[in-house]
Amino acid sequence: MERAKPTAIDRATALRYMGASGWQPDDATTALLDRAEKMILSAATPRAAVRRLPRGVFPPPELDCGADLTRHLQGCNAVLLMAATLGSQVDSLLRRLELTDIATAAAADALSSVLLEQVCDELEAEWRSHFAAEHLYLTGRYAPGYGDCPLELNDELCLAVDTVRGCGLAVTPQHLLAPRKSTTAILGIADHPVTGTLAGCTTCHLRETCSFRKQGTTCFAK
Amino acid sequence: MQIQEVFDRRRFVFLDGGMGTQLQQRGLQPGQKPELAALEMPDVLTAIHRDYAAAGADILLANTFGANAKKLAGCGHSVEEVVSASIACARRAGQETGALVALDIGPLGELLAPAGTLAFEDAYEEFAQIIRAGAAAGADLVFLETMTDLYELKAATLAAKENCSLPVFTSMSFESRGRTFTGCTVESYAVTAAGLGADAIGINCSLGPAEILPFAQRLCRSVPAGLPVFVKPNAGLPNPDGSYNLDAAGFAAQMQEYAATGISMVGGCCGTTPAYIAKLKETFRPLTPAQKIPLRRSCLCTPVRFVDVTGITVVGERINPTGKKRLQQALRDGDSSYPCAQAVAQAEAGAEVLDVNAGLPGIDEPATLERLVKDLQAVTDLPLQLDSSNPQALARALRIYNGKPIVNSVNGEQSTLDKILPLCKKYGAAVVGLALDEHGIPATAEGRFAIAQRIVKAANAIGIPNEDIYIDCLTLTASAQQEGAAQTLEALTLCKKELGVRTVLGISNISFGLPCRGYLNTTFLTMAMVAGLDLAIMNPNTPEMMAAVRAYRVLTSQDPQSTDYVAAYADVQIQTSQVSKSAPAAAAQDTAAPGGDALFEAVRRGLKTEARAAAEAALTMRDPLDVVNTSLIPALDVVGDGFEKGTVFLPQLLQAATAAQAAFEAIKAKIAASGQAQGSKGKIVIATVKGDVHDIGKNIVRVILENYGYDVLDLGRDVPPERVVEAVRQTGAKLVGLSALMTTTVPNMQATIEALHAAKLDCKVMVGGAVLTPSYAKDIGADYYCKDAKASADLAKQLLG
Repeated sequence: MERAKPTAIDRATALRYMGASGWQPDDATTALLDRAEKMILSAATPRAAVRRLPRGVFPPPELDCGADLTRHLQGCNAVLLMAATLGSQVDSLLRRLELTDIATAAAADALSSVLLEQVCDELEAEWRSHFAAEHLYLTGRYAPGYGDCPLELNDELCLAVDTVRGCGLAVTPQHLLAPRKSTTAILGIADHPVTGTLAGCTTCHLRETCSFRKQGTTCFAK
Repeated sequence: MQIQEVFDRRRFVFLDGGMGTQLQQRGLQPGQKPELAALEMPDVLTAIHRDYAAAGADILLANTFGANAKKLAGCGHSVEEVVSASIACARRAGQETGALVALDIGPLGELLAPAGTLAFEDAYEEFAQIIRAGAAAGADLVFLETMTDLYELKAATLAAKENCSLPVFTSMSFESRGRTFTGCTVESYAVTAAGLGADAIGINCSLGPAEILPFAQRLCRSVPAGLPVFVKPNAGLPNPDGSYNLDAAGFAAQMQEYAATGISMVGGCCGTTPAYIAKLKETFRPLTPAQKIPLRRSCLCTPVRFVDVTGITVVGERINPTGKKRLQQALRDGDSSYPCAQAVAQAEAGAEVLDVNAGLPGIDEPATLERLVKDLQAVTDLPLQLDSSNPQALARALRIYNGKPIVNSVNGEQSTLDKILPLCKKYGAAVVGLALDEHGIPATAEGRFAIAQRIVKAANAIGIPNEDIYIDCLTLTASAQQEGAAQTLEALTLCKKELGVRTVLGISNISFGLPCRGYLNTTFLTMAMVAGLDLAIMNPNTPEMMAAVRAYRVLTSQDPQSTDYVAAYADVQIQTSQVSKSAPAAAAQDTAAPGGDALFEAVRRGLKTEARAAAEAALTMRDPLDVVNTSLIPALDVVGDGFEKGTVFLPQLLQAATAAQAAFEAIKAKIAASGQAQGSKGKIVIATVKGDVHDIGKNIVRVILENYGYDVLDLGRDVPPERVVEAVRQTGAKLVGLSALMTTTVPNMQATIEALHAAKLDCKVMVGGAVLTPSYAKDIGADYYCKDAKASADLAKQLLG
């Protein structure tokens, strides 16, 4: 299903993705972000697909999905699977920019990642209130590939949601998502308030080189 | 029913309805593969088909939608087994009514490159396997449906046409904006599918009858007269609980609107049941299909861009190596980024079609043209003009082109007509016919017209209609044959009026050998437009020529309210001055006034336009190498040091890099013009490894390395190890940079390093990417780990100087 496009993209987060956390951009960079934002908003066609499944069905019992996801879903008897994409036009815009103007390309890349998050935030909020009416609660979003949860779970998730038909998103043989600016998430559903547990740094692939940790913070710190 | 009834279009033919929803209602469990129904629940499946046949369906789609090797992997059954069992169920069910059985094929579930990593050829093979199995199992026709990617549809259509003799029906799914998920328009779909030889063309799934109606009307206008059009909509739009909002009567009522559109086959998709088909039959049985009146138009397309050639249309000529040293080098090296950047620049300047030529002595033209087309269609949505006289090169390029291209060219010589026209027909391409033959170019307009006539006759005979033929009456050089220009234009008008074809000319040849070529080019272009020119092959980066095109459109009412003209020029001020070439350029001097280095400042501050201008000014007084070493590199060093210290941020670093790149373009142009050998600090090959499509990091590395004067061959993304080995061997590069973003693609990085070692190539390997660490890099055999682009530039300096 097609999703509404937010009218503006959160600049501060985009700058954080570009390693310029908390920096007050100079005029040239502000102009750069303006230009890139306009291009991304015109190229993006956000779409999403979701599916609710019982815990016994997803994650598939025969698959080892690691301890982090299990911990995240503790106390939940069902899951909401979510997949969202900005569409293939954003990919071709990024390819074009990477060829001709790397500064605009990097800005557009970061902004599109933020846009995708915003689309997911809105979708999550909608479902949260939808479930609240049934007196059900949702955890936060957990994506395959984080912590010790294998990226391979993307295959099962996309199959279960039928993302190819639902929003034009497919998984590559290396379990990456295509188009490039796409994401998947698993949210636990419970009959009591739950928050889920973030994977944290212990099992993170990036813990040795992480620039956030070097600065004494984390990527998920708000 | 006989299949001929489909093509006679004397009555409405009925297709069946939803299958997945029916299977679920009749006992398919969550987690159970619907593709295996013929093996695991054959009676249920046959009963569904039988109910559809009883409801009046003339064609039953076998339950083979997802019966491809990938989806069946690990289920213990082969494609052949599943396909033949599924067809058998449908056949059994259709026996009583005589319903035909279709081999139903949906998308493979993986995206083709460049969106994903599935190669076009591999997609073709997967489809071919299913199609051979379906033909062997006795299917009556092939039904390709729910496609959202035109490229995948092309692979499937070719596989069907080349692996069986059954009729091929194609169907795509459109979203509410009238585009598929990948952005394909209804018109691009219609002309591409028809061009590839589809026997019936339709729309299914995604939306209900009311929403699909306008798209079906557009489809009927774009599909050629002889081809039937069909629709198979969902039972309306989905409700939050997954059901659909139309019942059988509501569905049939909405469908009634279609009777007048020209479609001749109707059915249902998701949410529809045998009851819907019964109601549909009740509604449509008394009716006969309306006449379909398609537009006859000259068009070229890619999935997202449909170019209707109704007036003057600009074809960018820059991707042609003749006389262009840099492009020649790029083609020899297999470096696509240069031609791709040329494509983007021409598109921005106003080109609507791009000519692509890879004819260069000593290179493998078929392989080069194929690769060039693949790489270009990843970055531009303009249709391509495939420019070659080599039938092998054309065949390979036509095969992998996504959309409807134009072939440049055939001529009056019988052997070229015999070799190239069948290729154009097979792949649905338009064609350029040069008004010359084995005896050369006739001097008179009449002589050229006679050859054009011959070409048109030959093209028509093979099934290429006039609207797809573009005659080139040949631009002769005015300095050599001054009377030629008039003959060319006279022949052009004659062809257009008498033959009813389109016309094309390469403009720039007119001015060869004369000074101020722009004056002659623009004047000749204007004369040709008045004479009836449709395609102008020219350099769109020449402002005065584009201005002539835009002005012509205003003066011939093709640009309503002068909208495009105003958009292009509202913010422009014309400055024309004729400068003597022999007098020294004095104006530029103040830009490099003592105490201030304009280029250094422009790069440091990341000002692209200023950097280019400052470089050009500096080059009038200083040696290119001096400009690089005393202005450019020091500026980059200052920015790079600031970045390391944390006083300069990535966006600023990249803006400086972009500015430096613009300056470098000016420097390279100067060096090329002076005929000197390009000074390079050494060659570096970089690539994002196989399976990985995230390459922003690698692209940043490329720009920074180029900034520092290294000769970088960027192989792109999803690059197999063999390709890296071949490139290193060919270029003799001493440094290779590999990038991988995800844990699942790092093994391919290791495989690439091992392949380089196995080939005993004397080169060092640096690696980078999100999940890599110094110790991980060591484990997989890399020589160096670079944490960012600056680090790779430092490493290159250390190793290559």
